[in-house]
Amino acid sequence: MTEVSLRSLQKFYGKTAALKAISLDVNHGEFVSLLGPSGCGKSTTLKCIAGFEDITDGRICFDNKDISRKLPEDRDIGMVFQSYALFPHMTVTQNLAFGLEMRHVPKAEIAQRVARAMEMVQLTPYADRYPKKLSGGQQQRVALARALVIEPAILLLDEPLANLDAKLRDEMRGFIRDLQKRVGITTIYVTHDQNEAMTMSDRVVVMFDGEIAQAATPEDVYNRPASERVARFVGNANILDLPIARTDAQGTTVTLPGGATLQITRPAPSGQSRLRVMARPEQITLTSADLGQLPGRIEKRYFSGGHVEYSVATDCGPLFVTGPTTQHFAEGDSVGLCFDPARLWPLPDAESAQ
Amino acid sequence: MRIATPLLALFRTLVYVFLLAPIVVVVLASLNAGNFLTFPPQGLSLRWFWTFLNNDIFLNAIAYSATLAACATAVSLVLGTMASLYFTRHAGKHAEAVRIAVLLPLILPEILTAIALLFFFYEIGVGTEHKIALFTGHVLMTLPFIFLNVNTSLQGRDDSIELAARTLGASRYTAFRRVTLPLIAPGLSTGAVFAFIISFDTFGISFILKGTGSAPLPIQLFDYLRFNFTPEAAAVSTVSILMTLVLVVAADLLFGRRD
Repeated sequence: MTEVSLRSLQKFYGKTAALKAISLDVNHGEFVSLLGPSGCGKSTTLKCIAGFEDITDGRICFDNKDISRKLPEDRDIGMVFQSYALFPHMTVTQNLAFGLEMRHVPKAEIAQRVARAMEMVQLTPYADRYPKKLSGGQQQRVALARALVIEPAILLLDEPLANLDAKLRDEMRGFIRDLQKRVGITTIYVTHDQNEAMTMSDRVVVMFDGEIAQAATPEDVYNRPASERVARFVGNANILDLPIARTDAQGTTVTLPGGATLQITRPAPSGQSRLRVMARPEQITLTSADLGQLPGRIEKRYFSGGHVEYSVATDCGPLFVTGPTTQHFAEGDSVGLCFDPARLWPLPDAESAQ
Repeated sequence: MRIATPLLALFRTLVYVFLLAPIVVVVLASLNAGNFLTFPPQGLSLRWFWTFLNNDIFLNAIAYSATLAACATAVSLVLGTMASLYFTRHAGKHAEAVRIAVLLPLILPEILTAIALLFFFYEIGVGTEHKIALFTGHVLMTLPFIFLNVNTSLQGRDDSIELAARTLGASRYTAFRRVTLPLIAPGLSTGAVFAFIISFDTFGISFILKGTGSAPLPIQLFDYLRFNFTPEAAAVSTVSILMTLVLVVAADLLFGRRD
């Protein structure tokens, strides 16, 4: 198991900064996702770690050894590409054996290790097939096995599920996660899909504009986002801009339009008269109009199987709320919204969010 | 799509007739027993083939053309592959300029390329000595065929395949040899067949740049036909048609698409 550490990593394309001095430590056996919109620098980071791109400044270390100047073939990485990048002129067996041949592993051992890897990804019956005769999910598993059979120091995955249909994607998500835990390999996973990042990772690194906006556990990124931008990128976020009534040792009290107060058990950033608070859709409950802390009116109702999504018009602007299917509100109904103060998250003000 | 099927069949037949008739005429003329190149032939005989096989001038010309075509193809294979790799992967915004530059000998009238090369080689003091000008001309003429065919093999290919090989421990060269080369092999073989035939057949370039001494087959035939009008010329043409045919069929059997 290997520790990866990026130290003030910078990458410029001409005068454009793709990575602005990012630093990140990935621990032994940790599964870290780089999450962000396209162009945020997540793929560039991965390419730099793989050695496909020269870095402009900074260092990349594996187990404290600087590998920034090494060629990709000398870095001891396993990589899975979005397109799988299987060798189309080689069978599954030959694809898996390639990396071992490059390492001059004896023939008998290659056969053994390839067979074991094939078993690991349940592809033994397809050993002599060519990649184009395999389904997307099977190709994906070949790519994984090919990357892992060489027992690399780290595993890099570049949007590996992007080309799969939704059902298969969910299946592969669990498969990759289990495999990674079983092998115990340090893994860096690039994705723009927050769902993937949240469900698979030990830690999620949210990136915007070539910088790390937040690196934290999925729970923290979701419930305690470092900025409004993170809050909005990861899941649905309702942001309420509320006046502060008072700040004391117990926390901050804010006032909702209509007069109800909420006590948030965290101090507000000092010197402010208003506080921006984030509430996730499932952290708001709907009740009858006379009971809620904030009155509202159902604008839109979307049934989505497991739950119901509402868009509710309020004096704080439209809010997005999810409710159980056992509760029924129709479009046009007047409702009351209830907040759980313990789960409201005060966002840092715009300046400090930068 | 309202064309009646019989009409379409007729049209198709006419196209083939138009394309193949000259070849049939040449082949039949070569079987002529008479003394002059006429059609229809006056009696059938293989005597002109016999004459040709005993004529060192034509045998040498065929050998010379085949050698020239083989060498030009070999050099074009290397240069064309390099140009194609650069074009598809690294040229970026210059891609179109690169493509046009490589294809220029195909786009321009052959005679222009030939004259330009003639001027150039005289300007640098080489002239048509040592066959350098002729050889350069043939490489230029054949390069587009390799380039286009390798492009086709590379386009739509996933660039990350080679990168995948690198992460698995292959050096740049090994990755090319083990992964890229097998993938572009169909393009290389098709391109090579085209290149060989083009070089073997080309007239303008050879005519202008050949210099003194032995000449490629088309030039030799041209010289011959200026003073003689025997079916031997048709026999030579028939042999060269057969050689081309054998080459194409062999290439198709060896490298043709099997999937």
